[in-house]
Amino acid sequence: MKKIILIISIFLFVGIWGELLAANNDAKVAGKCMTCHKEKSPGIYKQWQASKHAKHNVTCLSCHAAKRGEKDAFEHEGALIATLVTPKDCGSCHKKEADEVNNSYHATAGKILQSQDAYLAYIGGGTPAVIAGCESCHGSVMKIDEKSPNKLSSKTWPNSGIGRINPDGSLGSCTACHTRHAFSKEQARKPEACSKCHLGPDHPQKEIFEASKHGNAYYTHTDDMNIKSDSWVVGVDYFEAPTCATCHMSATAKQKITHDVGKRISWTLRPPISKHKDNYVQKRKNMKDVCAACHTERFVEGHFVQFDAVVNLYDEKFAKPATAIMKIIDDKKLKRNKADFANDIDWIYWELWHHEGRRARHGAAMMGPDYTWWHGIYDVIHNFYFEFIPAAKEFNDKDVNAAIDKLLKKDPMHKWFLTKSTAELKESIKNGEMAKIYSKLFYKK
Amino acid sequence: MKKKYLNFIRGVSINKIGMAGMVLTTSSFIAMVFFELLRIVGILTNAYIGLITYLLLPLLFVVGLILIPFGWFKYKRESGKTTKELLEKQFTKDELENTKIGAKLTRTVLILTMINVLFLSLASMRMLNFMDEPVFCGTACHSVMGPEWATYQVSPHSRVACVSCHVGEGVGALIDSKLNGTWQMISITFDLLERPIPTPVHQLRPARETCEKCHWPEKFYGSKIKSIVHYDVDEKSTPKHTTLVLKIDSGEEAGKAGIHWHIDNKNQIRYASKDDKREEIMWVEVMQDNGKTKLFKSKKYYTSENNSDSERIMDCVDCHNRATHIYENPNEAVDKRISKGLIDNSLPFIKREAVAAITSSFTTKEIANQIIQNHLVGFYRENYPNLLGTKSKSIDKAINTLQNVYNTNIHYGMNVDWGVYPNYLGHKNGGGCFRCHNNDLVDEVGKPIKNDCTMCHSILANDSPQPFMYLQNATNANRDSAMHIYLKSEFLNYSIK
Repeated sequence: MKKIILIISIFLFVGIWGELLAANNDAKVAGKCMTCHKEKSPGIYKQWQASKHAKHNVTCLSCHAAKRGEKDAFEHEGALIATLVTPKDCGSCHKKEADEVNNSYHATAGKILQSQDAYLAYIGGGTPAVIAGCESCHGSVMKIDEKSPNKLSSKTWPNSGIGRINPDGSLGSCTACHTRHAFSKEQARKPEACSKCHLGPDHPQKEIFEASKHGNAYYTHTDDMNIKSDSWVVGVDYFEAPTCATCHMSATAKQKITHDVGKRISWTLRPPISKHKDNYVQKRKNMKDVCAACHTERFVEGHFVQFDAVVNLYDEKFAKPATAIMKIIDDKKLKRNKADFANDIDWIYWELWHHEGRRARHGAAMMGPDYTWWHGIYDVIHNFYFEFIPAAKEFNDKDVNAAIDKLLKKDPMHKWFLTKSTAELKESIKNGEMAKIYSKLFYKK
Repeated sequence: MKKKYLNFIRGVSINKIGMAGMVLTTSSFIAMVFFELLRIVGILTNAYIGLITYLLLPLLFVVGLILIPFGWFKYKRESGKTTKELLEKQFTKDELENTKIGAKLTRTVLILTMINVLFLSLASMRMLNFMDEPVFCGTACHSVMGPEWATYQVSPHSRVACVSCHVGEGVGALIDSKLNGTWQMISITFDLLERPIPTPVHQLRPARETCEKCHWPEKFYGSKIKSIVHYDVDEKSTPKHTTLVLKIDSGEEAGKAGIHWHIDNKNQIRYASKDDKREEIMWVEVMQDNGKTKLFKSKKYYTSENNSDSERIMDCVDCHNRATHIYENPNEAVDKRISKGLIDNSLPFIKREAVAAITSSFTTKEIANQIIQNHLVGFYRENYPNLLGTKSKSIDKAINTLQNVYNTNIHYGMNVDWGVYPNYLGHKNGGGCFRCHNNDLVDEVGKPIKNDCTMCHSILANDSPQPFMYLQNATNANRDSAMHIYLKSEFLNYSIK
C-alpha cells in the first residue's frame, strides 16, 4: 500500500513539476518569438522592450503560453500559445489587481445583452454595429473558431472591451486601460485611457472633465504630474491636478490604489431614476477622502450638497413623473407598435433619461457647469415640456391626461408652465418664493 | 600606280554626285583607318569613338559607294551617250585596251572592289563587335537606356557585357537580338515605349543558362556572412548592426539545405502569379526527383481557373531579379555611403538629412542636384553654422555623393523614381522571399510554406549596437536576453551540423 502511495506521489510530483517547467519560460523558445516578431511586428517588440515587463524578464511566453486543453490554445512555431491574455493570466502575477477588477462594475460591462442599449443596437442597428460599437468598449463574449489561425473568431477578435467574457471564464481585459504591449501604468493614469469609452451624448465624462477646473489644471500641468512615478499618491507625489484615475482608483494618503473602479462612487446615475449604490455611505466617504487631498472639508461638503441637489432635482421634477406617465402608457398598451423603440415616445423618453438627464447629473458630479445646464437640464426641460408631454397627450387617454394635468397644475415645480405670467414668475424669483420650492432638494437623502 | 588610281578617281567623278560619292568614300575610308590606328596605338581611348569609327564612317563609306554609280547613270541618261562613249571620254585608250587578262580599267575596278569588300567585311565585323559592347547598348539609345546604363556601371556585373546576359550565343540569338533591336528603334522613333520600362524583361535568355556559366550550383555551399549597418536618425547617426549568416547551400547534405535548395537539380518549383509582376503568387508546386509533388494554394489569390500564362519554373531571376540593374532605396543608399566613408558620419544628423535631401522631390537631374545642395547647406547653415567652415570639405563630399546616388537611381525622363523597381532578394517590406514564404500559401491540410526566421539565415545581430551582439553572453541588461540565447544556440547548432 505504501509503495502504491509512493508511486502515485512520484507520478503526481513529476506531473506537477512538468507543468511548472512548461509554464516556466525556456529562453530558447521565448527567444524564437522575439526573433520573428522583432521583424514582423516591430512595434509590439519595441513597446514590450521598453516596458517594465521586459525589465523584469517577463517575456512573450510568460503571458501567452497556454496549457493543453484550453479552448483558445494553438500550436505556433513549436509552442502552445493563446493570443488572448485574460485577467486570469495577468493575475498569476498581479493577483490583487485581478481580484479587484473581477469584483468591479467594469467586469460586468460585457453582460449587456439584456440592457436597453444593447437591445436598441441589435434591432435598430445590427450585429456589425454591435461588434464594432458596443462590444469594443463593453467587451464581447469571446467566440472560438476552430478554423481561425488563432482559434478566435473574427467577430470577437480583436476585442479589448473592459468586460470581455473570456473562454477561461474570467471577465474583462487589462489591455482596456493598459494598452498592449507597453502595459504602462502612466497610460492608465491619464484621462485619455478612460476617454475611449467614457464620452459622447449619453455619458460625456471626458468632455465634462475637460471643461472642469480639474481638467483645465491637468492639461495646463500635464508634464508636472510625476505620472511615471511608482508611487503616485495624490497630494504627496503630485498635486497639480487630478485625473480620472486620481479620484476613482489611485492611492491617497489614507487609501490604497484600487482596481475596483466603483469603490468611491455613491450614486448610479445610469437608470432613468438615480439610485444609491450598495454601501453608498462608505463609498461617499472614500471619495471625500480623495477630495481632501486638495480641498478643505467644508469645500467638499458643499460640493456634494450641490451635486446631490441636481440629482434630486432631475429625479423629482422630471424622471419620476415621466416614468410614471410611461408606465400608464405601457400598462394600458396605448402604443401603436409593440416593440420598444418602434414608437416616437420611446425615443423621447429614452433621450430624456439616457442622454440629457445623465449629462446633467454627470456634469454636476464632476463640476462641468455647461453640461449640468445647457447640455443637461436645459435639454431635459425642452424635451419634457415640448416633446414628451405633447407626445403623451397624443394618445388622448384619460388617465394619461389626468396625470399630466395633475402634474402641471398641482406640482409647485411645474405650476409655472400653465398658470403663471412672466411678471409673476420674475417676482417670485426676486422675492425668494421660487427658491423655496426647491430648498427641500438640498438636504434630501 | 598612284597615277593610275588618280586617273580612275578622276574618271568616275563624272559629275558632282559622282565626285561627292568619291570624296565621301575616300575620306571616310581614310578617317576610319586613321581612327582605328589611333585606337590601336592607344591615343584614342574614348569609348564613344566606336560610334563614329564603326557605325558612322562605314555608313558614309557605303553611301559614297552608292553615289558613284548613281552619278554615272544619271549623267549617262541626261547626256544620252552610250557607255562606250562615256568610257572613252573619261579614260585613256591605254586603260581601255583589251589584253589577255582584261582591260586595265577592269583590273583596277576589280582590285578596288576587292579592297571594298574586304574593308566592308572588316568594318561590319567591327560594327557587330562594337554593338556587342556595353557602351553601345548603354549609350546608343541614351535616354531610354540611361537608367540601366547608370546602374549597370556601378553593379557587381559591371565587367560582364550586356550581351552576355541579354543576347546569348549563336546565330539565332544574334538574329533575335537584331530584330528586337530594330523594333526598339521603331518604338523609340515613334515613342511607343512605356516609361518606366516594365519588368520582367521577357526577351532575356533563360537565366540558368546565363547565370550558371559563372555561378554553378555545385558551388553554393556553406554559409555567407552578410553584415549590414543601418544608421539611426539621431544626431550622431548611431550605427546599428545587423549580421546575418545566410544559409545558401543548395544540397541537402548533412541537413544543410539552404536558400539555393530551390534550384538544386533534385528540385523543381513551379508557380503561377496573378500578373506579370510575379508579386501575388496564386500557387506553388514543389516537385522532387523522387517524383513527389506538393501543392500550396494561396488563400488570397488562388482560383480554380488559374491563368496558365503566368506559370513559370522558378529560376535565378525569381529572387535575383536585380542582380545588375540595382536600384537602391534612399535609406539603404545613404547607409551604404556612410559605411564606405563617402559621407562623413561626424556631421550631425547626416543620415536623417541626407535621406531627406534625396527623397524630397522627383525631378530632373539639374534641379535635383541644386535641391540636394541647398538642403544640406541650408540645414547646416541654420543649425550648425560653424560646420560650414570647419567641415566644408565633408559637406561638399556628402553633397557630391548624394548627387551621385540620386543620378544613379532617379531618372526623371524615364519615370524611374524611388521604389519603381522592387528588389526581390531578401524580404524587404514583405516582398521577395515572403511572396511565397507566408501564411497564405497553404498545403491541403492548411499548413503554410515554412517561413521560420532562422530557416534561411542565422541572426547574430539585428539592429544591435555591436555586429556580433547575440554571440556575446546575454545579461538581463539586454532585456531581450532570451532572444540572444536562442539565436546564439541556433547558430552554433547549425554550424556544427
